[in-house]
Amino acid sequence: RIRLRIRVFRAMGGDRGTEEELTAQETALYDRQIRVWGVDAQKRLSKAHVLVCGVNGTTIEFCKNIVLAGVGSLSLMDDHIVTEDDLSANFLIPHDVCMHGVSSRAEACCESLKDFNPMVRVAVAIGDPSLIDEGFVDRFDIIVVSCASLKTKLFINDNCRKRSKHIAFYSVECKDSCGEIFVDLQNHSYLQKKPGGEPEQQELTYASLQEAISVPWKNLPKKTTKLYYAMRVLESYELSEGREPGETTLSDLPAVLAQRKDMCDRMSLSESQIPTALLERLLAAGKKEHPPVCAILGGILGQEVIKSISCKGDPIKNFFYYDAADGKGIMEDIPPTPVEQFA
Amino acid sequence: MAAMFGGIVGQEPENTRYDAQISVFGSKLQNKLEQAKIFMVGSGALGCEFLKNLALMGISCSQNGKLTVTDDDVIEKSNLSRQFLFRDWNIGQPKSTVAATAAMAINPKLHVEALQNRASPETENVFNDAFWENLDAVVNALDNVTARMYIDSRCVYFQKPLLESGTLGAKCNAQMVIPHLTENYGASRDPPEKQAPMCTVHSFPHNIDHCLTWARSEFEGLLEKTPTEVNGFLSNPSVYVAAARTAGDAQARDQLERVIECLHGDKCETFQDCITWARLKFEDYFSNRVKQLTYTFPEDSMTSSGAPFWSAPKRFPRPLEFSSTDPSQLNFILAASILRAETFGIPIPDWAKTRNKVAAEAVDKVIVPEFQPKQGVKIVTDEKATSISSASVDDAGVIEELITKLEQISKTLPPGFHMNPIQFEKDDDTNFHMDVIAGFANMRARNYSIPEVDKLKAKFIAGRIIPAIATATAMATGLVCLELYKVLAGGHKVEDYRNTFANLAIPLFSIAEPVPPKTIKHKDLSWTVWDRWTVTGNITLRELLEWLKEKGLNAYSISCGTSLLYNSMFPRHKERLDRKVADVAREVAKMEVPSYRRHLDVVVACEDDDDNDVDIPLVSVYFR
Repeated sequence: RIRLRIRVFRAMGGDRGTEEELTAQETALYDRQIRVWGVDAQKRLSKAHVLVCGVNGTTIEFCKNIVLAGVGSLSLMDDHIVTEDDLSANFLIPHDVCMHGVSSRAEACCESLKDFNPMVRVAVAIGDPSLIDEGFVDRFDIIVVSCASLKTKLFINDNCRKRSKHIAFYSVECKDSCGEIFVDLQNHSYLQKKPGGEPEQQELTYASLQEAISVPWKNLPKKTTKLYYAMRVLESYELSEGREPGETTLSDLPAVLAQRKDMCDRMSLSESQIPTALLERLLAAGKKEHPPVCAILGGILGQEVIKSISCKGDPIKNFFYYDAADGKGIMEDIPPTPVEQFA
Repeated sequence: MAAMFGGIVGQEPENTRYDAQISVFGSKLQNKLEQAKIFMVGSGALGCEFLKNLALMGISCSQNGKLTVTDDDVIEKSNLSRQFLFRDWNIGQPKSTVAATAAMAINPKLHVEALQNRASPETENVFNDAFWENLDAVVNALDNVTARMYIDSRCVYFQKPLLESGTLGAKCNAQMVIPHLTENYGASRDPPEKQAPMCTVHSFPHNIDHCLTWARSEFEGLLEKTPTEVNGFLSNPSVYVAAARTAGDAQARDQLERVIECLHGDKCETFQDCITWARLKFEDYFSNRVKQLTYTFPEDSMTSSGAPFWSAPKRFPRPLEFSSTDPSQLNFILAASILRAETFGIPIPDWAKTRNKVAAEAVDKVIVPEFQPKQGVKIVTDEKATSISSASVDDAGVIEELITKLEQISKTLPPGFHMNPIQFEKDDDTNFHMDVIAGFANMRARNYSIPEVDKLKAKFIAGRIIPAIATATAMATGLVCLELYKVLAGGHKVEDYRNTFANLAIPLFSIAEPVPPKTIKHKDLSWTVWDRWTVTGNITLRELLEWLKEKGLNAYSISCGTSLLYNSMFPRHKERLDRKVADVAREVAKMEVPSYRRHLDVVVACEDDDDNDVDIPLVSVYFR
């Protein structure tokens, strides 16, 4: 039996109550951002525990952002050994990676992240994302998954939803110069700012990952972004071939096109909605990320997590897509929220 | 949209860290990126993010490439929440050098030079013509509009692409300025922030912003400007005095009065003197001046048009009664005394820093003279007035008297006497600066029944702080770097570029193609801000005027840099008409024309035949 080894750090000094003031050190350090989201949000951040599975250019950008923001703790799970490939988009991997002996991606990034903000507990979480069970997810308030198989993502998302504690789930993928962020906040209530009026309480209900990717394509609005479909085709392909995420090349194209045809036929979508050129691009990219796109996606994801922890600001519901080819950033709500009927 | 992204070159990976880019753009473009010569202005929040991106992308990462980064600022604690290349132990060190070193740790091939010059007209000897001409692109990483406008003007002059971005809280934007393709940054500006009229700030505040603006201005005047003036006089008395005589105006008179006050009337030698000064200032600002104001303009007074003088938004002030039992008042006096002591180099006793009986007693010891408001005191009420000093007929005479008095006083000063001007530093919570400013503002607010503010809010307004977060900063630089690929690749049309505005709080993500530059037409000619007209030959001013006349333009003024070469309204300039433009520049305008310089750029003001002004491009005269 595989025992899941996890290192968990005890909270130093216990969790603070909301009545406790920020320390002078925190007030000085966080001055500029407190002026954006307020003292209360800063306190909530300092109590939040975040898990990131999958260390790559995008998730490291995200980690940088939330560590600077001052979350309570950050756990990194990624035991892949660091290689030179990691230098292309991950700014925390030392450039002389091969000379530094053998370390995992999580280990390689951990110390630098601690340096960004000594008040945040940053630790390596040893383990396999595909084995993250209910007990494990319960230690966290936010879980971000990247570069994991669909099966793993579904498993983790499902476990998050099983807990009575509110655990927000995000998945992010950056391929080439485009990317997808998926958000599942389950039930999220927050105060929405109204221009020139009193803030209003909002209640949002999110779909699970399973629900979000199982919507029959014929039920989706015509303008739904091509990236949504393309990502689903690749996901299915990797799943059916038992591939590691991103472990694809251009030589897979014919098989992927067949996959596309199969899915489009089943779900009554015209194949032209998923351009061959786009699939080519994503296949050729594999796991390769463009650094500027990592910064964009990491920035957006960072702010999403901050919004969810602080319950301030309108969160993305529930997909965000960015594509440098046209420069567009698009939000999709899938499955679409039914429009309320007015009497 | 050109397939900069969205396609694959299908090139074989070269087993470098740039394989992701090479497989999309090809190794030829990758080489171009590595050899790029970039000027990055600013090394703070945006700067750190840019350096990280550039290091990863391989931009300027070769001996032939070069990234020049400049910033005159040093690192402080509140920077660390965004400027992740800095650590606690870097506080006090220059931003540019620390950031450059940290970026080289990400990619040792980064060829970067870190400077500490503010990019402004004063550093054009550092950032000279050769420097600018050699650049491929300029990236702004600035936090103020003034610097942005200056860099924009340089980029227009040298025809260089400018990649501009900024953040404000959760909002960010990226704007591309490409020579000949887009409008320049200065072409469309936000309307200028409305500044309150001087008399509102000085006598008729009606909100806390007015009080804080006034507070900051008084702080700077009393604790920075006057001590600086004093030192200016002491270091070179004859020069200082001569300058005051030459100026001979109300402002010079005011300044002399303040210097004398500092060295004579209000001079402090002990800490108790400083307490006296602070207590009397309190009485002056928050009691006497209010009594004088309401004496000159009683509550029921009328304006010349018969309306009540004190109608909204004016608020009728009431004088404050000092009491050392009021913590906020006592705090203010103590903080002000401490800073006053600093300017005189007087040691500060421990009890001054705590609000206790000893402190209260020291303040109560001060003898405060009775005040009687006077008749005939002039108080500025005109909203359009830009100066509070009221000119009098005999300023020059008064100045002479003041100079005599000043010279007498200076003989009584101990040798080596000098003052220590204080520069407002908002982020040091132990320096009492914000205590004084918030105190000034809140006491004033109390006079005018305006709600007071806490130190945090006061710091925000008085310190002109910009709220900032790492996420928006990271995103802005990501967006710019995508455009930078296009700029360095070259050959892209305006439709290929993207300006982006995003608000991460909502979230909102909106893009647009940059706007082409405005075209100006005249007869059958058209041009934009990017164009230059060229004239070859070592021509005379007259020949230049005739060349323009042929285009239907009547030139009436020709200048080069900041020097006027010719203006039709000065009769003696007629003598210059048959002299060579280059010679006039050198000899009359005393311009330096180095031997490698083959052309001069002149600004010509023209009218058409209907006497309408026509904004023509810069004219380059190639005289060699």
